[in-house]
Amino acid sequence: MSQVDNNPKNFEEIYYDDDIVKKFILATMVFAGVAFLAGLMAALQLAYWPMNMNMEWLTFGRLRPLHTNAAIFAFAGNAIFAGIYHSTQRLLKARMFSDSLSKIHFWGWQLIIVAAAITLPLGYSQAKEYAELEWPIDIAIAVIWVVFAINFFGTLWKRREKHMYVALWFYIATIITVAVLHIVNSIEIPVSLFKSYPVYAGIQDALVQWWYGHNAVAFFLTTPFLGLMYYYLPKAANRPVYSYRLSIIHFWALVFIYIWAGPHHLLYTALPEWAQTLGMVFSVMLWAPSWGGMINGLLTLKGAWHTLRTDPIIKFFVAALTFYGMATFEGPLLSIKTVSGLAHYTDWIVGHVHGGALGWNGFLTFAMFYYLVPRLWNTKLYSEKLANIHFWIGFLGVMGYYVSMVAAGITQGLMWRAIGADGKLIYPDFVETVTKIIPLYWARAFSGTLFIIGFAVMAYNIYKTIKAAPASQPVAVKVTSNMKVQETSTETHRALEGAATTFSVLTLLAVLVGSVIEIYPTLSLHKYVPKDVQTVPYSQLELAGRDIYIREGCYVCHSQQIRPMAAEVLRYGKPSTVADSMYDRPFQWGSKRTGPDLARVGKKYPDFWHFRHMIDPRATTPNSIMPAYPWLERHKIDFVSLRKKLSVMQNLGVPYTDEEVANADIQAEKDAKKVAAELKAQGAPDNLHDKEIVALIAYLQSMGQKEKKK
Amino acid sequence: MSNQDQDNLTDHEYDGIREYDNKLPIWWLATFIGTVIFAFIYWLHYEFAGGPDLQAELKIEMEQLQEKTGGHGHDHGTAVAVSEEELLKLMTSADTVSNGKLAFTGKCASCHGDQLQGLIGPNLVDEYWIHGKGSLSEIHTVVSQGVPEKGMPAWGAMLKEDEIKSIVAYIGSQKGSNPANPKAPQGEKVVNN
Ligand code: HEC
Ligand code: HEC
Repeated sequence: MSQVDNNPKNFEEIYYDDDIVKKFILATMVFAGVAFLAGLMAALQLAYWPMNMNMEWLTFGRLRPLHTNAAIFAFAGNAIFAGIYHSTQRLLKARMFSDSLSKIHFWGWQLIIVAAAITLPLGYSQAKEYAELEWPIDIAIAVIWVVFAINFFGTLWKRREKHMYVALWFYIATIITVAVLHIVNSIEIPVSLFKSYPVYAGIQDALVQWWYGHNAVAFFLTTPFLGLMYYYLPKAANRPVYSYRLSIIHFWALVFIYIWAGPHHLLYTALPEWAQTLGMVFSVMLWAPSWGGMINGLLTLKGAWHTLRTDPIIKFFVAALTFYGMATFEGPLLSIKTVSGLAHYTDWIVGHVHGGALGWNGFLTFAMFYYLVPRLWNTKLYSEKLANIHFWIGFLGVMGYYVSMVAAGITQGLMWRAIGADGKLIYPDFVETVTKIIPLYWARAFSGTLFIIGFAVMAYNIYKTIKAAPASQPVAVKVTSNMKVQETSTETHRALEGAATTFSVLTLLAVLVGSVIEIYPTLSLHKYVPKDVQTVPYSQLELAGRDIYIREGCYVCHSQQIRPMAAEVLRYGKPSTVADSMYDRPFQWGSKRTGPDLARVGKKYPDFWHFRHMIDPRATTPNSIMPAYPWLERHKIDFVSLRKKLSVMQNLGVPYTDEEVANADIQAEKDAKKVAAELKAQGAPDNLHDKEIVALIAYLQSMGQKEKKK
Repeated sequence: MSNQDQDNLTDHEYDGIREYDNKLPIWWLATFIGTVIFAFIYWLHYEFAGGPDLQAELKIEMEQLQEKTGGHGHDHGTAVAVSEEELLKLMTSADTVSNGKLAFTGKCASCHGDQLQGLIGPNLVDEYWIHGKGSLSEIHTVVSQGVPEKGMPAWGAMLKEDEIKSIVAYIGSQKGSNPANPKAPQGEKVVNN
């Protein structure tokens, strides 16, 4: 309560743990640099493919997951932790529950990031977007997240402020939901130390993955940042929050509705249509609750708009909220079926996420850091002018990025679907639709560079600020506890804000409703497969090839899901079915078509075409931007692990016979010899019989060929 | 701060942060309720009131396409019969042949070699033919319909009829060109064509 208790007996002197906040800030700065540079490199590779320097570790398929994981978990993650550790202690008038847990959280998280930075370039990947990390790292993430949760809820438990401010509601939603999402999406069976297969297959895996993927955006990049906004914006502007009522309504609406929206990533796919419809309508309903956050932020500045001209921190906040508003208007729009029909698989989506990631998460983090660093280090910002320069360069960067990618996406979408008066595709050559947008890829890379230059200016500014700071001692703060004060409010929500456990349980229930309703029915996948259709599981060699496809990250450029639209049927063949991917662990439907869909590429070309194309795509397709994969001609197939792989698959319900499992490696070697002999007859070099290229070709040739009528 | 503002101020205070309790902006509330109503109606329409499913929508689209192509199938190329004379005549047009060469280099050379010498697909300028006896109209048929199971695409679905004809004219014009490094013969030898 606002009244200050002047009875000296009730004062307590405590110390906030600001050391941990400083650590997270510095880690954020380091990993932001890594994430942004990896992104720039990936952008340059699409404009000019040799930028991968022909090194397998840096090819686009491995670099893009590194970039996305670094941006989400290393940059945004550390930024969230910095802000949460700082604001939670103050909002609860309590030091963090345990310094040791804080340290374990910090160092554990950084270790996870380092492990990711090593394993992803090496190709250890589950090939599920933003969930690429292999099972040992998945476990580590779960453990560290629980450490964080204990530390946070422990602090709630020993708080001295009875009522929880809206920022804390958002933190609670984040911690609970991310734990649920991560654990459910990561249920997988290990094959070896760095290889596993998910328990879900095909449409199940797709649904669970995008329930996770979409809500990673919701509960890792939205709710925690809204929480941070609710603390740092009123602090920086020194203004009361606009509407408490709005906070309540938009918080619960967001938490309840967001979780349903995942299937909007799967419109027009083989996912059962009732789930697609739910995904779309819940996304549309998200528009207002999302804007609730923006309005509450922007209107908080009512009466303080003049500071927008003078204070770079306010500039960053206003821009961040505006980008948030843009992205959360665009999101529901993109979820509308017909809009998705045009925009899905294109670079428009890439533009959309970067409006959010650079504009909202980036700028909000920058605002928070410009506010925090001088206060934590007990000094003044080295240069306001540099902060202003950062703002304008960064702003141009985000805008340039967004505009170029939306233009590229709409161009792609229109070219893919263009059908002439003669009923034929106007651009049957996929690569035409690629070369058309290369100039926009350059524009994107240039804009990204601007954003990075802005960030470098900030890094310098912060470095100079910290360097000039006096050696500071922790300062004691005087706090009083109101925990023993009787609840006087007759309003239910006000009372709920004082009951942390009930509040947390309700939040959990709110996210579980949508999750269970959508996921539970698809767990019995077989009821969606027509009775007269039988799908043959991958042969041993094809499975080996599929794991190479997964390792190389082909899914970041290729989809495997033909949508039921005339233009797609003309270009790729009949629409994908539930049965097509029923043994796919993980599903590889993909989300972006930098290259053409591959769901039915099997038997489209002779083996030798694939050989030449994989070794050097330009040999068959001039102007292709696909990376070359010459090492596939050198690396040997891992035959030995096949028995184990098949037996895991068998345990998961794939109908392999015991004999097929027992002879997995022998059979694969036989098949590989056949493919190699055929390749040789067509003109390929000798001695390919144990090389990875053979397994990959076997897999590619099997795609879309697995369906048998009973 | 105006008085109006003061009235709205709640008694909450957290680390110096205060909260107003302003009313929900009316346009915001209207948007929210509007989307909820839309969502409900949309859901009812597609899940219960018999709104078309994706397969039904596709069927309509494909029928419209069918009308455009005049009832011909599209995934196996249009098998319009072309007379040998017409193609032979095209062979004499330098423009057509050079257009054909351009198209061949872009679409066919990756498999048949840029000198037509054969690479992944067969040599197209030797005396051996897998399909037919190497007449221009037969070549036209193979190119249009393809041999999908052998990896020769059906170009009828992808290229304009004029383009296909010009490519065929170009192939005809290269007959007997004896390129370097020819691919070993495939198919039957055709004498006296
Ligand atoms: C940087 C994006 C990118 C990555 C990564 C990538 N590709 Fe491609 N791929 C393309 C583009 C663009 C094309 C179209 C031009 C061409 O044929 O090369 C293509 C074409 C293909 C085709 C021909 C499809 C058709 O119908 O003509 C196959 C097969 C293929 N890629 C397989 C792969 C495999 C396997 C991998 C992973 C080892 C892979 N690609 C990785 C961009 C990519
Ligand atoms: C993906 C590789 C590929 C491409 C691209 C391709 N072809 Fe073929 N083509 C083949 C193969 C393989 C065969 C042999 C089919 C068979 O064995 O029946 C073939 C056969 C042919 C034949 C019949 C040859 C014979 O001996 O009967 C002709 C004519 C032909 N192609 C023309 C073309 C033209 C014209 C184009 C470009 C518009 C083209 N091909 C593009 C792979 C290709």
